[in-house]
Amino acid sequence: MNLTNPQPIYLSIVVPLYNEEESVEKLLLGLLEVGRQFEFAYEIILVDDGSTDRTWDNIERLKKTTLQLRAIKFRRNYGQTSAMVAGFDYAKGEIIVTMDGDLQNDPSDIPMLLGKIEEGYDIVSGWRKDRKDHVLKVLPSRVANAIISSTTHVRLHDYGCSMKAYRAECVKSLKAYGEMHRFFPALASMTGARVTEVPVKHHSRKYGVSKYGFERILKVLSDIFAMNLIIRFSSNPLKGFVLCAVPFLLLTLFFGGLTLLALILQWTVGKAIFFMLSTALTGMAVVHLLALGVVGELVVSTSDLSHTRMPEITKKCIITNGEEQVAKRKVRGA
Amino acid sequence: MKYSIIVLLEDPHADFSQFVKNLHDVFATRGDSFEILIMANGTGGFLRNQLTKLQGFNHAIKAFEFNTKTTQAVCLQAGLKESSGETIVACGSYQQITNDSFNQLLDALDEGADIISPWRQGRVDPGFNQFQSKIFNTFVRRLLKTNLHDLSCTVKIFRKEVLEDTNIYGNMYRFLPIVAAQKGFKTKEIKCQHFQERGETGFYALSDYVTRLIDIFTIFFNTRFIKKPLRFFSSVGLGSLLIGLFITFYVFVEKFFMGHPVGDRPALLLAIFFIVLGVQAASVGLLGEIITFTQGRHKKEYTIEKKI
Repeated sequence: MNLTNPQPIYLSIVVPLYNEEESVEKLLLGLLEVGRQFEFAYEIILVDDGSTDRTWDNIERLKKTTLQLRAIKFRRNYGQTSAMVAGFDYAKGEIIVTMDGDLQNDPSDIPMLLGKIEEGYDIVSGWRKDRKDHVLKVLPSRVANAIISSTTHVRLHDYGCSMKAYRAECVKSLKAYGEMHRFFPALASMTGARVTEVPVKHHSRKYGVSKYGFERILKVLSDIFAMNLIIRFSSNPLKGFVLCAVPFLLLTLFFGGLTLLALILQWTVGKAIFFMLSTALTGMAVVHLLALGVVGELVVSTSDLSHTRMPEITKKCIITNGEEQVAKRKVRGA
Repeated sequence: MKYSIIVLLEDPHADFSQFVKNLHDVFATRGDSFEILIMANGTGGFLRNQLTKLQGFNHAIKAFEFNTKTTQAVCLQAGLKESSGETIVACGSYQQITNDSFNQLLDALDEGADIISPWRQGRVDPGFNQFQSKIFNTFVRRLLKTNLHDLSCTVKIFRKEVLEDTNIYGNMYRFLPIVAAQKGFKTKEIKCQHFQERGETGFYALSDYVTRLIDIFTIFFNTRFIKKPLRFFSSVGLGSLLIGLFITFYVFVEKFFMGHPVGDRPALLLAIFFIVLGVQAASVGLLGEIITFTQGRHKKEYTIEKKI
């Protein structure tokens, strides 16, 4: 790296850290080792997600000797996803690579991810093909992957892998929290990003404790459910709410028909009243859902969120053969 | 400048200038640089009269007047904008805690905290007021899972960043320590000596109780679910839906196994009602989620302490 005449930063490596005091230094050394092969300027962004141990002190100490290091400290623990989003926000590079701070990902995979990006993909997701984790952690993850894969349009083997490379513009404006980093590819693909995956190395944990458990599985599953709903509904709210209203519309018609029958055939008064009230209640639900759908449509149309209908340029130009410049423009849903 | 004291002047009283003089003395004896900002909230010409009595202190006092009565949160934000101190000391218009207590609180902040919430001991207000206050605080403590005992004290001492990073509006001023703690600021509760109480005594107007209850609910929702409204509404909706389905199930069991008729009984109607209610609650949550997802993108989910 030429320090006297700094080039613009090409690659930003974002690593969220939570209570990883032992790992920080090793992680940084590993990254710098890989960084030596790079012919471009890069930076390492460490995000301290409200650690209660000496993680931040270690980062500050390392900062003094490492020029490429930049860091963010959260006031409290907000979760991996928020840490990544904060890192994206702070990053200057054109390409952003994320990875785990617990040394389970291998920095030596970064050039491979970058290679895929240069092939023209916008997002390259790591796939821990040979996973070194406890079966109780792998199994729920498999289930989650299968659900995400079948419910979103993006098909990957391993959504939970933190090792991913993104073109910065694909993730700069992401809004996510909780465990939603799994959905970055799905969210970004809504704008028309091309997504692929490559197998990456995976090591077993050396320091610290795994931050997993039964509660986490529930959280991940409910996030998956919520995220699917949100993605679907926010791209076409009226349609979604109308679909929800259909069963109630059928019920309304059913009860309405019975009311008429009860009146015409002169069943007991109690029955007629019962069917009438049922018609009113289910009818109310239909009206309520349709009204919400319209309001939803209104909300989405006034938002600055362009991913739902605007075609977006995900890549301005690529250089092939070192000279020829090709402008590429992609339209969502193509 | 170290301290900015923001005095919220809401109910004018004769001893006000005396209180400000006293505040001035407390901080002058501490020796740190300070300023006093008086935010007069719809008190008419009262402030101007008082200022003539405070002439000797002009260098340290800034006074602002709102034309119409506004909320405490607005006063506080306006005060923050005009202030230049690192530490904000917010207080009401009379001396609620003793001078020694002020010093204790300030020392506690210096020892390493972002916001200090005083806990008044040896209270001098009528027993009934203490009782009401106790109920309010216990309820809030249980519901919001905090360990603060006295939110009603008007004195709050905090670093400037606390107010800059928290979104306080309406009557949420008293909940500032809770909101701040939720944002990751270090909150400390310090016992101090109660000095004087000038607020209303006895029963408040009914509307005051209702407003307070709504405030508590707002804070509850804001701190727990504002970023994920779907969670809140869908748990309510799911509960209702399950009750509805259970009743339906029960009614049908009765019909098919015991031969009781279904048609003209209210049970099934109740079931339908619960199901419809459940779907409505969940769908409102979904709409809320759509709003935060599409409109709240520029709002950060996290608070950053340091960047290097």
